[in-house]
Amino acid sequence: MLSMKLFFSNIKKYYRYAIRSAKAELKSEISESYLNWLWWIIEPLSFMLIYTFVFTVVFHSSETYFSIFVFIGLTCWEFFNRMITGSVRLIANNRDLVTKVYIPKYILLLSKSFTYLFKMFISFALAILLMVFYQVPFSPTMFYFFLILPVLYVVSFGFGLLLMHFGVFIDDLKNLTNIGLRLVFYLSGVFYNIGDRLKGTLKYVLLRGNPIAFVMSEMRKVMLYATGPSFEGLIIWFVIGIILCVIGIHIIHKNENSYAKVI
Amino acid sequence: MLKKRKEAKKNIENGNEQEKKIAVTVKDLHIAYKGLQKISIRSHLLKLKPIKKDVFEAVRGVSFEIEEGKILGVIGRNGSGKSTMLRAIAGIFSADKGRIDLHHNTVSLLSIGVGFNKKLTGYENIYLSGMLLGFSEEEIKKKEKEIIEFADIGDFIYKPVKMYSSGMYSKLAFAITAILETDIMLIDEVLSVGDTQFKKKSYDKMRELISDDKRTVIIVSHSTPTLLELCDEVLWLDSGKVKMQGDPKTVLDAYEKEMNG
Repeated sequence: MLSMKLFFSNIKKYYRYAIRSAKAELKSEISESYLNWLWWIIEPLSFMLIYTFVFTVVFHSSETYFSIFVFIGLTCWEFFNRMITGSVRLIANNRDLVTKVYIPKYILLLSKSFTYLFKMFISFALAILLMVFYQVPFSPTMFYFFLILPVLYVVSFGFGLLLMHFGVFIDDLKNLTNIGLRLVFYLSGVFYNIGDRLKGTLKYVLLRGNPIAFVMSEMRKVMLYATGPSFEGLIIWFVIGIILCVIGIHIIHKNENSYAKVI
Repeated sequence: MLKKRKEAKKNIENGNEQEKKIAVTVKDLHIAYKGLQKISIRSHLLKLKPIKKDVFEAVRGVSFEIEEGKILGVIGRNGSGKSTMLRAIAGIFSADKGRIDLHHNTVSLLSIGVGFNKKLTGYENIYLSGMLLGFSEEEIKKKEKEIIEFADIGDFIYKPVKMYSSGMYSKLAFAITAILETDIMLIDEVLSVGDTQFKKKSYDKMRELISDDKRTVIIVSHSTPTLLELCDEVLWLDSGKVKMQGDPKTVLDAYEKEMNG
């Protein structure tokens, strides 16, 4: 409990730093390339085109609105993927900072998450443009978007906190997470519909047990197919996410001042 | 009601009584580097026995207090735990035992510089470092010009820090910590930053900062003349323990004697 109180007072104290640092990072990312901010649009669009090409032309996939189907999945996946890969080496990458000044370490992750959120919002804005283009009928269920997003964020942040901590001490955790992420990627149904393609327990386990697959399928339900989300599932994953965050925050409070001795 | 007033009065009396306010309290401080080596999963799996913990205690039971506005010098040979202790006071290292109380003062560690994000410009780093030292964006905005002027690195201030020479890097780092003044300043080795001109400028600035009678300063140095000149009190650390503490002349004489004897 004390741990959470400290967490919120730290967030209050450092959130402006986190925002400023995120903005600066985004700026620096584009300042050195020719097409600068256009990359934030070109990148997700190209991935969408590649997957659409491969799966409609090569594999004859027949989902309705397949491009948008892939695009929404990809957008959710990218956020999660960035959070996980970003957090494993986060402390080591900020060596200069961590060894010279005190900062609550989850502020680093918070700041990073802001940059990823920003990119995700651009991606979703593109998705909406695509939906207009393909004349997806409007449905009020689309507003459930704002309910699903916090679940994705909390779960990613929780995993991120834990990986950030263990990444300091375990050198090869990065390799492990890469393999893990690849597995989760193919099991999440970025370019296929788990609900249609799989049957029985496997379908159930993948959709319920993999938060990203779950978030993705819920997002598609409310955006494309005018269906309400599974509230029960959303609540369960939200609670799990919060629990992960609380554990992560507690571990980081206990250990963060030792990080500078290791890296 | 009456009781409250009595208490308030008592507090005022106490306040007058102990005019000296303590700025830093260090009590029975222990800092060890132990069992924190990185592990790889392979070596962990291959060795069934637990990895031998290699404990090195850098600071073993140091206690002292500093009054507000005083200047404490810390001396000792290499590896005696001076820098480790300083970093612990700055909040970068955790104490394994004992405690450090800064009585709500802000603190900054001079000379090794603030942490920069190398991908960002110097200008952006002024703000980020300043905010980490506990200043608001508005406060930094006011001092921004002064910092840039003091750092004196020209247009490089708008370039990413990774393009800086090591001299420019330390000049900017010094300018930030020196202009954004905190209540407690920790100085690790008297500065030798940049070219001769900047060295003189930074030395003068440091003298000015130290002479402020509200500011508490801890200086780590190997130079006995500097400490003799600047400090109100000197602490001699030897293998992580306090060997002697007190009046600069007495302590420094004893230190010199042992070093040369």
